[in-house]
Amino acid sequence: MIRLDEVSFRYRGATEPALSEITYHIRPGELVGLLGRSGSGRSTLASTLNGTIPHLVRGDLQGQVHIGGQDIRAKRPRDLADRVGFVFQDFEAQLFSTNVALEVAFGPENLAVPREEIARRVDRYLRLVHLEALRHKAPAGLSGGQKQRLALASVLALEPQVLVLDEPTSDLDPAGRWDLWAVVRDLRRERALTLVIIDPETDEMGWVDRFIVLDRGRVALSGTPSELWRATATLEGLGVKGFTLARLASAIGVEGEWQDASQAAAAIRSAGWRVKEGAADRLREADAGQATGEVLLEVEDLTHCYPDGTEALSGVSCAIRRGEFVAILGQNGSGKTTLVKHLNGILGPTAGDIRLSGHSLRGQPPTRPSRLVGLVFQNPDHQIFAERIRDEVAFGPRLQGLSEHEVARRVNEALEAVDLAGKGDLDPFVLTKGSRQRVAVASTLATKPEVIILDEPTTGLDHRELEGMLALIRRLNQAGHTILIITHAMAVAAAYARRVVLMRNGRIVRDGATREIFKDESGLLALGLTPPPAVQVANRLGIPALSLDELVGSLTRSPLPPSPSAPLPQP
Amino acid sequence: MNLFLYLDRDSPVHRLDPRTKIFLLLGSFVAAVLFFQPGPLFALFLVLLLYGAIGRALGNLRRIWLLLLSIAIVSIVSWSIFARGSTPLFWRVTWEGFLYGLGAAIKTDSMIVAGLIFLSTTRTEEIVLGLIRLRVPYQAAFAFSLAIRMVPTIIGTAGTVTEAQRSRGLDLESGGPLVRLRKHIPLLVPIFLHTLRNTDQLAKALESRGFGARRERTSYLEIGFHTADALALILGALTIAVFLVVRFAR
Repeated sequence: MIRLDEVSFRYRGATEPALSEITYHIRPGELVGLLGRSGSGRSTLASTLNGTIPHLVRGDLQGQVHIGGQDIRAKRPRDLADRVGFVFQDFEAQLFSTNVALEVAFGPENLAVPREEIARRVDRYLRLVHLEALRHKAPAGLSGGQKQRLALASVLALEPQVLVLDEPTSDLDPAGRWDLWAVVRDLRRERALTLVIIDPETDEMGWVDRFIVLDRGRVALSGTPSELWRATATLEGLGVKGFTLARLASAIGVEGEWQDASQAAAAIRSAGWRVKEGAADRLREADAGQATGEVLLEVEDLTHCYPDGTEALSGVSCAIRRGEFVAILGQNGSGKTTLVKHLNGILGPTAGDIRLSGHSLRGQPPTRPSRLVGLVFQNPDHQIFAERIRDEVAFGPRLQGLSEHEVARRVNEALEAVDLAGKGDLDPFVLTKGSRQRVAVASTLATKPEVIILDEPTTGLDHRELEGMLALIRRLNQAGHTILIITHAMAVAAAYARRVVLMRNGRIVRDGATREIFKDESGLLALGLTPPPAVQVANRLGIPALSLDELVGSLTRSPLPPSPSAPLPQP
Repeated sequence: MNLFLYLDRDSPVHRLDPRTKIFLLLGSFVAAVLFFQPGPLFALFLVLLLYGAIGRALGNLRRIWLLLLSIAIVSIVSWSIFARGSTPLFWRVTWEGFLYGLGAAIKTDSMIVAGLIFLSTTRTEEIVLGLIRLRVPYQAAFAFSLAIRMVPTIIGTAGTVTEAQRSRGLDLESGGPLVRLRKHIPLLVPIFLHTLRNTDQLAKALESRGFGARRERTSYLEIGFHTADALALILGALTIAVFLVVRFAR
């Protein structure tokens, strides 16, 4: 169905090729997962599959790309629309109609499909993505997950044979991701569809037929999920996250391929591993010493209504102590971002109060709290404007009226902290998303806030960038900063935050130690959240471990009963 | 928060064919440019308010009343100062200049209100379809609808960028006009770049959904002239006739 022969591509103005000599054939009905770190060529490769490259993106394409026998050079993407469907990460930019049904109808209309047939397809695909009840709604009013399912339906309505999904779940909450994948699975059962999916969450991609792993524009590795399971070390070397359960298996030296946490727990037990004496107490003790500082931020009965009358927060109360590391979890639209915008004075409460070191923020100009509480927005591109990284980072300190000498000192310090020392004179826009995110963090750091709030700091980062960003956040916490993060990445919350605040419909529904909250899987599930695989296995083994390392460290191998025929190990 | 003007309601105006509403919109523009005197323009304004009330669209006036008011003030003040007349009131302001300014204010506001009612009661897809049936090329009609769509997107981006920079300590409320203008650079750069990226994404998304693949395209939405359209057009024509008679009969 898809034939790539000796495909190379170089973006105009780039020195290095984005793709080099890729030869790969994908059979009809196959589901291929495309992995690779950012800049490895994943999206570039996907863009050749419907002719976006070379028709809409300038550069030099070598080799042959055939889709269903059709050379993509001969056809523009719009002429391939009934063959290749494309769903992008940014669901906002894909939707432009005034209601859900019209959005789905747009594609078939362009291909001059008769009206009765369009009506049939609108019904059929809205039913498939479970949006039939919302057909008269405006897309702008849907949740992120619903929007992405609508984008999928509007592409499916063209009835393509090939479907390319380019990071469709990056901006979705766990429930949204789960629903989208459920729909894709249903779709595959219903009809033969060749699928190419880019998604960095390897753990959620175990159901593909084959993986292709790209590195510097070349196919570095490819194979079935089983083959990838065994190649975990190679994957990590390529900067790609391997299966968590595979890493667990290799860490304790157990053979086997596990489908889920229950299977993993059973296999670990039967291999003779058991929980160390007192492991749970040791883990809890390690938590106990932290965050006993005084209360820094106090939210009391906070309610916020938007101008159109929707209540985004209803009676929220919580207290944050100095030195804490807190994760705020909850589905899109549960009020997380609205809450943190109150903490640095960007939004004012409709009712209730926020106290910073005991002083109410009511009636304060927002510049005052923003010096003590730094907020790093989700998308660094919403704030980066300067031509040099140095000036970008200096923006906050200069606004505080500091001397140029002091500004320079702080900028250097902040750049040092985010591993961008010596890069101050670069243009921020030549950096990768991960590094731009670092620039945004440095900009906040340079104002020396006591509390640093990060809204989805890992979105769009690859495995290595993500680990680097989290290591940075942990360092900041250890250096005395109080940290609040909003995240959909449950593994991040589990491994780093010592306290979790769960939100739903503008209220805090749970607030407590991460270790205790992640033990309660059914409670999390009720909020559309699931613990990461390592925690799920730990729960089944009865250890309150929050990461792979903690889990492995809590296990010990009980001596197997000596088998009479086995030779004694040599000393 | 909904930034679109369209109000998804059921009203006699909503049910009209988009072409009818385009004609009525053009008709109200014609009526507005016919006059300079506040009297007949005020009458036109009232007719438009009645039309808007039938279309249940006047709620949207709340969103633009500040704009309407500032246009009115600027128009009345500047014409009062600059237009010449024979009946002095005070300083250099004359009665004629004031009336002219008042007329211009009502004229501009009427046109805006007419446009507002049109956009509040007509889906962009209907506008596109109406324009196509009026022989406007599809690409041009669609570009128009994209322009309408981009406005709320850009406002949304501007809101987020403003919050991001304010949280870094940017204070837009203090300083003289020049200082304030300079303070907007940290806002304009990200808004501009973000909008560019967005447009690029949109172009790719449109292309991958077959936009422009065929010369002819079909429509899921159905429009057609009904009795109500005939009635509305007759009423509209009569109203304009009345205005024409008032204007030229003397």
